[in-house]
Formats: sequence, structure tokens, C-alpha cells
Amino acid sequence: MSVLYTPVQWNRNKFLYDGVLLAGVVAYILVFLQVAPLFVDATRPVDGAILRMRAFGTCAFLMLTLILCIGPLARLDRRFLPLLYNRRHFGVLTCVVAATHALQVLGWYYAFSPTPRLEALLSANTSFGQVLGFPFEVFGIFALLVLTLMAVTSHDFWLSFLTAPVWKALHLLVYPAYAAVVAHMALGYLQDAKNPAFALLAGGGALTVAGLHLAARRRDRAARGAADWVTVGRPAEIADGRARIVSLGGDERVAVFRYDGRLSAVSNACAHQNGPLGEGRIVDGCITCPWHGFQYRPADGCSPAPFTERIPTYRLKLDGDTVLVHRTANPPGTPVEPLAIP
Amino acid sequence: MSDPDRGGFFIGWSNKLPDRLGLFLVQAAAVLVAGLAGAAFAIGVTQNDPGDGAFRFDLGRQTITGVLQAEPYPVLHVTESERYPAGHAIMLSGQGKRGVQDRAAPLDGQLVVASGVILTRGPLDMLQVRGGDQGLIAAEAAPDANAVPPGVPVPVPLGRWRLTGEICDGKCYAGAMRPGQGLSHRACANLCLTGGVPPVFVATDTVDGQAFFLIAGPDGGPVTDRILDHTAMLVEVEGQIERRGDLLVFRIDPATLEVL
Repeated sequence: MSVLYTPVQWNRNKFLYDGVLLAGVVAYILVFLQVAPLFVDATRPVDGAILRMRAFGTCAFLMLTLILCIGPLARLDRRFLPLLYNRRHFGVLTCVVAATHALQVLGWYYAFSPTPRLEALLSANTSFGQVLGFPFEVFGIFALLVLTLMAVTSHDFWLSFLTAPVWKALHLLVYPAYAAVVAHMALGYLQDAKNPAFALLAGGGALTVAGLHLAARRRDRAARGAADWVTVGRPAEIADGRARIVSLGGDERVAVFRYDGRLSAVSNACAHQNGPLGEGRIVDGCITCPWHGFQYRPADGCSPAPFTERIPTYRLKLDGDTVLVHRTANPPGTPVEPLAIP
Repeated sequence: MSDPDRGGFFIGWSNKLPDRLGLFLVQAAAVLVAGLAGAAFAIGVTQNDPGDGAFRFDLGRQTITGVLQAEPYPVLHVTESERYPAGHAIMLSGQGKRGVQDRAAPLDGQLVVASGVILTRGPLDMLQVRGGDQGLIAAEAAPDANAVPPGVPVPVPLGRWRLTGEICDGKCYAGAMRPGQGLSHRACANLCLTGGVPPVFVATDTVDGQAFFLIAGPDGGPVTDRILDHTAMLVEVEGQIERRGDLLVFRIDPATLEVL
């Protein structure tokens, strides 16, 4: 977290994260371009440009698949949370790899023609009325535009400038983009490939993304009530320094933290990137987001100075030994007296 | 902010990694790198054989004399060449994704000298005519004034056929690109065809011993604009086949084109 919009706040974990990412991408490209061809029994080799567009295109798809798996994996198994920490660098690198694929295509399939490349890209195939032969390039163009938009707006400056809801909605376009990439491959390269290896990898990847999201959603689904006060449970059921997440219906969730013999309730969504605060901990007396370490005071939902982030708070009360939370959120940063545990 | 004992809770900005996570993350990193390398090998090693088509730069510039037939697409019927027998048909294209119709039309039916680089794939030969004035010129008159100049081969009808196969641009299929066919290559094929490169039909079966055909319209003329929605995929189409020298020409009826 920061009050300064520095380009990248490098730290050891980010260096390690990016180092592993780069190693994975370099390994993929080198093996695809230099090692695998040695084992191919072909009459003549595939053109270098076509080999490169395949290498970077398939790499970008697998990277996007991994990115979309990280979120639900982290919800299902907390050990994956560190993979989420620097996910935006993963996204930016994926955008670079996808753009390299696009440049290879433009520089080969759309080159050497009297028609300018970008004009050719949009005019060479206009069979929009058929499935086989559909201009699958438009799906790739859409996905690349989304990835570029996400990469360009990935910095916290844009999160603040656009506001969190707009920024989040913009970045949720990654799901339509992923669907577009799957369509791009299904109507293009996969129609030509005689060997099912890539079809299995692509299908398996897409199914894994869908399956993990469904599993995480099922796990998160909680009982929903209609009353003003929603049952949280007994205080003893919440570990010290931890929280219980309670669904208030729809997508609204509240995180009820136990600390120092008291309870406080705040929105489960971090003001930074909507990270799940209820999966965080109390560190230094502050609720600490598991995604990027943003911190808030439990009693008023405000970040400690000099930080300025604020989140909504909620009222709590005891009914016998059962804690209840009121479903109406207070404005972000509203102080609420913590509920003392008897 | 301080960095207290967090009981295995990961905080990104903290430079200390909880002990219990260290081994797990090292394993995850290893799986990521090894998994990507393994996926690259699995995908890279299972790509289709793109065929034996290629530019034959190794043969150097070819200079071939023959009778030029401009329609449906420029073809040279060889009369004299160091490499090719008389009667062999060689399709002609320009540089890049361009045809040579504008240069061939004034020379239709004449004896010409063509020079450029050959592309070869199996029995299919294409000459990429070099640019400038010398790529395609009328041959000098024969010294014997009484000699009968050679003409274009008389078409030999082989009947009406319904064939299954793929419409490709003759240049990429011949080896300008490897692979030069398939849906991934469709936009490139269409750009080649609209640029004037001769279209070929690559059949799944043979007619008179050949599996590729120069495509023409029902009237024997060009048909490019009517086939662009059916390129680069498996289609069925009907038409008349005729032999012109050693080249088979498939005069397709575009109305019968059907995607399989």
C-alpha cells in the first residue's frame, strides 16, 4: 500500500515472483522454438515466423489460464495467496506475450500484400455468416485489446482515478477476453491440428478455470437471511486475530474480526482491489488484506495514517451467546464501538 | 509497518516469507517452470507436417521459354528449359501476394521468356516472376521464318466431377509458406488470391493421377471473387475437369460449393 504513485514498488517478493514468471516464459519459448523441432519428423520445417506465432500464442493462452486459476485456488487453499500478490505483473507479461504473437501474425500472414496490414487484418476474411471459416482473428483482436487495456490501467493510479467499482468492472473483462481466446483457437489453429495434444491442453485448461471458479463459488455460498440482523455465530467460533465471513445476500459480504477480546465488522472487500479482507489477519492491530497487505483499523475501517483508504463498517450485537450483524453498511470510515466479548 | 510473527500469513510488502510457505512456493515455482516447458514440448513436437513445398532458391534464377496462357490465371506451357520438359505447365505469380495478370494479358498465347524463382511442391511448380521489365517478355522470333509457332495446349475434357478438398492459393501451397493451407492460413490465402495468385484445388482423391488442380470458373475464366468464403477448409464442389498439357484445370461451379 502506498500514498505515492511510484511506477512499481519493488520488493524481494516481487523480484522473486517476476523472476519465476520470466523463467517460465523463457523456458516455454526456448523449448517450443529450439528443442521441440529437433524431435519433429517433418518433410520440411515449419516457417520460423509461423513457429513463433504458435509459440507466443499458445504461451499467452496458458498464462491467461494460470492467471484465472490463481483467484479460485487462493480461495480454496490459502497457500496459493502469495501467487495472487503480484498477479498484475503476470497479466502485463501475458499482454506482452500475446502482443508478440499478434505482431508475428501481422508480419507474416498480412505482410507482402498490396493491401496495408491493418486494413488486410479487417478485410481479408469477412465470412461472418459461417462457423467454419469465421474470421477468428476478431476474437484475438478483442482479447488483445482487453489485455492491453488491463495492462495499461493496472497501476494503482488508475484504480484511484477510475474508482474501485469502475476499475473492477473493467478488469472483469478478462473473462470475456478468455472466452474470446478460446473461440480464437477453436475456430483457428485447433481446426488444423491433426494431433490432439494442444486441443487437450486447451480444453483441459478452460475446464480447469471453469471448475475452479465453480468450486470456489460453492464454498463461498453461505446461508442468506432476510432479517435486518444476520447471525454470525458464537464468538468462540472465531479464532483470535481472524475473521468469519458472513454473506448478506447478493454479492455483499461482511468480515467479523475477533481481536483483543472484542469483535468488529467491516466490508469483506478491500478498497484496493476488492481483496477478501475476511481471509486476512489482524497484524499490528490492523485488518490486513491477504492480497496486497492493505491495512485497516477494525473499529472504523480506516487505513492508518498516512494512508487514506476507507471501507464500510457494520454494527454488531449479542443475542445470548450469538453474535448478530446488521445488514445495512455504514458509510466507509464510520467508527463503530467494538463489541466486547463477555 | 513492522513485520510481526504472523503465523504463516503472507504479506506481500513484507520481505520475510513465512517458513511454512517457503517450501510450498518453491515447489509451485518449479511446477510452473517445468509445466510450461513440458507443455511447450508437447505442443511443439506434435505439429502437423507442413509438406515439402519450398522456394527453390538453391536452383538459382530460372529462365524458361514457353507459351503463355493468361486465363483463367497465368500459366506457362514450357517449350524450352534446362530443367523442365517441354509441355510441362508452370503457374506464374508475382512478388509477394501478387499475381502477374497485368503483365501476362498482353502476351496471351505468345511465346515468352519468363524468369524468376521456382517454388515446388510435388508435381506443382510455380514461378515467382521477377520484378521489372525482364521478368516476362516476348521471345525473339524463331530464325526459321517458316516454322509454325507453338500454341497453347488444346484442352482435353475429362468429364464432370464432384470432388472433396481444399481451395488454396497456389503460391503458399507450393511452399511460399509452410504450412500454406488450413484455416489458420485462411486470411493469408484470401490476400494472395485477391492479389492475383492462382487458386488451386487440393483434392483428397486423384483424377487422372493428379490431386491438385488449377481452379477456373464455369466459363474457364477467373473465379477468385466467388470462392473467398470457401478457402482453406474442406469443401465439396462440382465442375468440369480438363487437361491442358500436364496441368489439370477444374472449372468449378461455385454454386455447388459446400463446406464439409
